[in-house]
Amino acid sequence: METLTFKFNATKSVPKHAYVGVVASGDLEILLEPSKEEKAYVVVRTASDGFGETWKNLLDRFFAVHDIAANIEINDFGATPGMVSMRLLQALEVCSSEKTER
Amino acid sequence: MKKLNDSLVELNARERAKAMLDKGTFRELLGPFERLESPHLSQQGIVPQSDDGVVVARGLIDGESAVVIAIEGAFQGGGIGEVSGSKIAGALELAIRDNEKGMRTRAVVVLDSGGVRLQEANYGLLSISEIQSAIVALRKLVPVVGVIPGKIGCFGGMSMTAGLFSTLIMTPEGRLTLNGPEVIEQEAGIAEWDSTDRGLIWNTIGGIQRQATGLVDILVEDDVAAIKEAVQAAFRSEKSNEFRSSQVDFYLSRLTAIDPTKTLTPLELRKMWGAEASMGSVENTVKEHIENDAEEVISRGKIWFKALTGISNPENGNVPAVLCADHELDGELVRYIAVVPNPNSRFPRARHGEVGLEEGWSIAKYVREAIEEDANKEKRRAIVAVVDVPSQAYGYKEELLGIFLSCAASVDAYATARYAGHPVIALLVGQAISGAFLAHGYQANRIIAFDDPGVLVHAMSKQSAARITKRSVEELESASQKVPSIAYDIRSYSTLGAVHELMTGIHADEPGKEDVDQVLNSLAAAIKIARKSPKDLSNRLTSNNAATGRAASIKVRERLAKVWN
Repeated sequence: METLTFKFNATKSVPKHAYVGVVASGDLEILLEPSKEEKAYVVVRTASDGFGETWKNLLDRFFAVHDIAANIEINDFGATPGMVSMRLLQALEVCSSEKTER
Repeated sequence: MKKLNDSLVELNARERAKAMLDKGTFRELLGPFERLESPHLSQQGIVPQSDDGVVVARGLIDGESAVVIAIEGAFQGGGIGEVSGSKIAGALELAIRDNEKGMRTRAVVVLDSGGVRLQEANYGLLSISEIQSAIVALRKLVPVVGVIPGKIGCFGGMSMTAGLFSTLIMTPEGRLTLNGPEVIEQEAGIAEWDSTDRGLIWNTIGGIQRQATGLVDILVEDDVAAIKEAVQAAFRSEKSNEFRSSQVDFYLSRLTAIDPTKTLTPLELRKMWGAEASMGSVENTVKEHIENDAEEVISRGKIWFKALTGISNPENGNVPAVLCADHELDGELVRYIAVVPNPNSRFPRARHGEVGLEEGWSIAKYVREAIEEDANKEKRRAIVAVVDVPSQAYGYKEELLGIFLSCAASVDAYATARYAGHPVIALLVGQAISGAFLAHGYQANRIIAFDDPGVLVHAMSKQSAARITKRSVEELESASQKVPSIAYDIRSYSTLGAVHELMTGIHADEPGKEDVDQVLNSLAAAIKIARKSPKDLSNRLTSNNAATGRAASIKVRERLAKVWN
């Protein structure tokens, strides 16, 4: 297991937190909480060691488009980059939507 | 055109919990942002999950207050660890409290679990014993409904738990069994069970077979509305207190009619145990015991049963592997029960002291006998489980004939005895492994153990545990240096707070009079304390060692209580 941390500048605020995914084989969970700071902090715990560069590239690209001010925690169990991007977009959708579900 | 089903199997745990509750009433307790993850996984280089794979939600079912607990099968196979197990046990304990106070709270558990999470091992077993104890108490107050939708299914200690529900609901996608086929193949060989034979697996332990042989109550298609309706119907029906795990005579007579030397297919069993075979009409002829020439095997269980009772062969019943005798201690009668090797056992997979089909039900019989005999007495006799059990029995017939229920029966009996006021003491003289220990000893008010290298407590043999967790035995051993709950020795185990007394200097293999006197004194003292203490298992969390050894279990329960209402 490896822990990676990333920091990005951010301009957009999001209304609420988001929780998506599951720590299952080839999947990951994302906990996203709005931040008051104009920054995004990402902490990744991943079961696959040695992919720091891949994570950096992937997150760089995501925050270049969606520079949301948020604290993001990712628990990864060997998700592919495609899966990670999909889950990030899913989290974005949940945290941006105004309606709450019960 | 037929509407497509809304699958429950395809939903994750959170969605499953939501689906069980009336629309708009779902309120999750200790959700992901509470960050109550397992403290033991990251130490072993395993990525934890923020809710530890269990969703606890309050809400309404059919307009009545309820708690739904759903296990996430996708995270670590739904394995029960300290935090996930404590979320389940803690929620059920709070439901007991509410129902006792007259605040009716229904309880549903959506099961999807491989059993004990082997990376936390003894924490899983401890939690499961607490979950089982809670269900036995709660189902007397309100129906407790279990649902096995499928994907993982329900295995290991959690299959025993499933045997305790007031109503158990399965879909054809669900599987229910004590030992998974891979473990049986590892322990008993590929000739006993080829774990790649999918057809055999589904025909033996799948929902259709389980319901057809009466081992679960209701079979429902994988459809949210249909499952919800079945759950609500279970609460409306208010089934009487005729729990399957308490029907000792019925199941013992069923087993007696089985000839273990003959092959038995799932279809043949359906003919014997199915709906067409009417209840109670089972042929009640006791098959003659096959008198082999196999020599008597000495075991610690046998040595200590004799040392404590003065009797070596009580000859009380048709299952010689289970010894039972009453003996006076400190002016009162105490019932001693031991499981010992019987090389002539009718079931070949239970000849080395394992808890098998007959053993589980026989333990239940002896415990229930004491409960009935003492029902009108002011002082209920103490029951001592002399524990030296290498494992549960691993075999195809064992699983087909529902060893999960047999073990659930002894859990049920011990827990029922404890709640009825019988002090139950477990005396660990040898091995206390996994399902066998859950069935025989883990429901005790107090656990006494010898500080001896031969006393081992664990969830699974090292070889099997390595296979299932995809690690080498060496990796497993090195991980146990950091995480005491996965070690096998009794000293590591005792740091978890459940051991009432660790007795040093006992000659476990050849006890002398001094050893026996010392043990009898400790038993008498433990019985006295148990009589004055709560009848549940809460003392395991209030002991000195528990403050550190069960820190997460305590924290989960405290946090849960705060947000319960």
